[in-house]
Amino acid sequence: MTTVLTRRPGLARLRAARQPLYLACLGFVVLVVLAALLAPWLAPGDPNTVDLGNVLAGPSADHLLGVDAAGRDTLSRLLLGARTSLIGPLGVVVFATLAGVAVGVAAGWRGGWLDSVLSRSTELVFAFPGMLLAILIVTVYGEGLLAPVLALAIAYLPYVSRLTRSLVLAERERPYVAAYQVQGHSSLQICLRHVIPNIAPVVLAQSTINFGYALIDLAGLSYLGLGVPALTPDWGRMVFDGQTAIQRGYPLSALLPCLVIVLTVVAFNVVGERWADQVARRDR
Amino acid sequence: MPPTPPRPGRRGRHASGITLAASALSAFALVAACAGPPQPSGPGGQDAYTLSADTPAAKGQLDSFSWALYAEPPTLDYLQAFDYPQNTVLSNICESLMRWTPQLKEEPGLAERATNPDPTTWVFDLRPGVKFQDGTVMTADDVVFSLDRQRNPDNGGAWANEFQNVDTIARTGPLQVTIKLKTPDSQFPQYMATAAGVVASARGVQAAGKDYGTSGSLDCTGPYRLGSWTKGQSIELDRFDDYWGARAKSKKVVFEFLTDPSARTNALLTGEADGGYLIPTESYARLKNSSAGTLYFGESLSTVNVNVTNTHGPLGDVRVRKALSLAIDRAGFVSTGLGGNGTATTSLTSKAAWAAADAATQQAALGGLQPTAQDIAQATQLIKDAGARGKTLTMATSSIGQDVSLLATAVQSAGTRIGLDIQLRTIAPDAFTALFTDPKAREGIDMFPETYYLSITDPMDLLTNFQTGSYQNYAGYSDKAYDDLVKQAVGTYDPAQRLAIEARLNQQAADQALWIPVAQWPTSLFMNKRITGAPTTISYMYYPWAADVGAAR
Repeated sequence: MTTVLTRRPGLARLRAARQPLYLACLGFVVLVVLAALLAPWLAPGDPNTVDLGNVLAGPSADHLLGVDAAGRDTLSRLLLGARTSLIGPLGVVVFATLAGVAVGVAAGWRGGWLDSVLSRSTELVFAFPGMLLAILIVTVYGEGLLAPVLALAIAYLPYVSRLTRSLVLAERERPYVAAYQVQGHSSLQICLRHVIPNIAPVVLAQSTINFGYALIDLAGLSYLGLGVPALTPDWGRMVFDGQTAIQRGYPLSALLPCLVIVLTVVAFNVVGERWADQVARRDR
Repeated sequence: MPPTPPRPGRRGRHASGITLAASALSAFALVAACAGPPQPSGPGGQDAYTLSADTPAAKGQLDSFSWALYAEPPTLDYLQAFDYPQNTVLSNICESLMRWTPQLKEEPGLAERATNPDPTTWVFDLRPGVKFQDGTVMTADDVVFSLDRQRNPDNGGAWANEFQNVDTIARTGPLQVTIKLKTPDSQFPQYMATAAGVVASARGVQAAGKDYGTSGSLDCTGPYRLGSWTKGQSIELDRFDDYWGARAKSKKVVFEFLTDPSARTNALLTGEADGGYLIPTESYARLKNSSAGTLYFGESLSTVNVNVTNTHGPLGDVRVRKALSLAIDRAGFVSTGLGGNGTATTSLTSKAAWAAADAATQQAALGGLQPTAQDIAQATQLIKDAGARGKTLTMATSSIGQDVSLLATAVQSAGTRIGLDIQLRTIAPDAFTALFTDPKAREGIDMFPETYYLSITDPMDLLTNFQTGSYQNYAGYSDKAYDDLVKQAVGTYDPAQRLAIEARLNQQAADQALWIPVAQWPTSLFMNKRITGAPTTISYMYYPWAADVGAAR
């Protein structure tokens, strides 16, 4: 397998060959997902309950991770925030993966003019920075999760479609494909039943890595005040709201969401990379 | 399967794991140590603050000083000078017929005398030899042109309301302008010390056409002229050497637009900006304890309010407005949102605005208002009585500063506690000023936080906002009795009699909860050790304050 997954320069240095790191990251991913699913039951209080008489208080029995600059419970906001912080990237990845696979398979399988048109179109998207596209769309359509998710999904599509295309090009040359063609199977059947399942592990590994990137991009948008609305608990929004806490010299409520964002992104990266490695070894 | 080849850059893997864990632990310990409630240093759980009447006078000249602004002015046309960013800059370039002093008194400005031969006539005798920044000399024609421009409804000026009683503005001599009023107007001469009374060169304004205020010169008479304006970044003012008054102490002033409160504070601490008004409240403690300069508080005649902009929805019922007013945690807002430097209030007008009134009038204006303490039970009952339980309201918020963002959060929380569903809509700092001018910007918004400063030392400046058809009467409140009282107050030149009428207006506005007052908030000013001389009071909106700023040593 010569196909290389797309990774960002900083995170590309993280390698997942070590078993303990992989297991720790996998455990963290599971933990975050569980926290998001069970947030309403796990959260100790309402994430939007304001207590202006007790702002920036440190950890205590009532507030295990302290409160923010408006006196809101940080733990509740982190737990509930896991939902928006994970649903957004999930939307980006699902859309980018489905559309990217469709485009990549069509381009790789058919080749010719269709390949040229699809490949050049996706390269055009590459030329436009995803964050800029998202900021543009949010400016036009106002705040909310849908606009930035769609914008980032479009920006992430070429990463998946390019990978899929190269995988399909290699897969198309395999003898089993010719065998199915001789037996009279249609191209659609071969692609859906055999080619896509065969390339799926690598695409899913790329999507897992993309999930981390989408999470950090969406958190960045929320930090700029362009993502979710003001009241929605969201990790990026918490960092944005936490600027006041930093100014006042009690930065815990800002640093905790930063920490969670970084750990989640790293965890998804390590897990994705490990899966890709496993696929690569199996193919060898 | 061949073994995985070793990858470069992974030395000491076990040690790095331990190091990682240790670093994470120490980081958490450090962070946990950083969290904790700020210790209140004053009585009543709030930081004690004192108002400074002024700052030490400048001791020398400066080549230049820089000033932090929280937003870029959309225009410097005096017709639209109604908000902090534009007025902070414009007051140094354009002057008015009268002048509001740092002590918040009125004195002659470009007019050396204002006389009132009969209740409906005001005669302004102009200062001779005053030069515009284009080199021409000010005449009565320029005054007539400048004031007529304010009155022209086609120009959509922010001060047009102040001219509603004006019948004619005429030149009655080379340096004399006579203004005839339709009815006696005690407010009009006071507003001649604000941007409403600005005089610009008729020739300059006509030559600039639609570009006036956004590029080129402003052709006014102030101690500074508009230099270069780098959009999105800064405005430079150059000293006007032919200024009629005392020469400005600094050759140049650079206004830096720093929309991010943290960046603004850091700029002040590092010396990137030498000073600034409207200090982010969350930075009060840092700046107060800093050795970089001094933080001052001054008389502001300002109240922080919730401006009710839409009474077609649930807020049309006075019980809902009153319920919200009862549910807001004012003490918490003052302590957190204003860094303890303010006073909770349920009066729309600040106490200092009533300084000229006698004790009985002050009692009539400010006594018997709703207490500032929260009363959730009564508020919940009012919402129930009004049948507004579960109703949705939208409040605008912005990251301009905590006075805005935290007030919005406090209102949202108050609403939730009494059964309302309050949504927050985030507005970009540069777009926030549009809420005051553009009805489209207010669409879908029921309330927004508004810090209202009086532009004259008279509570009427705020109380006229609830008159039918007034510029800031966004909610369209209309009450004949209120309008009649406004007319009566406006027509009364005697301050004592007028303030007695204004006291009744203050009570009615509070009874109707037309806006929801939350706190009195002093002005804040920071200057580093290099500069001094800026006034501490809200006079900086219209007084050429930058001319007084010079070297501290």
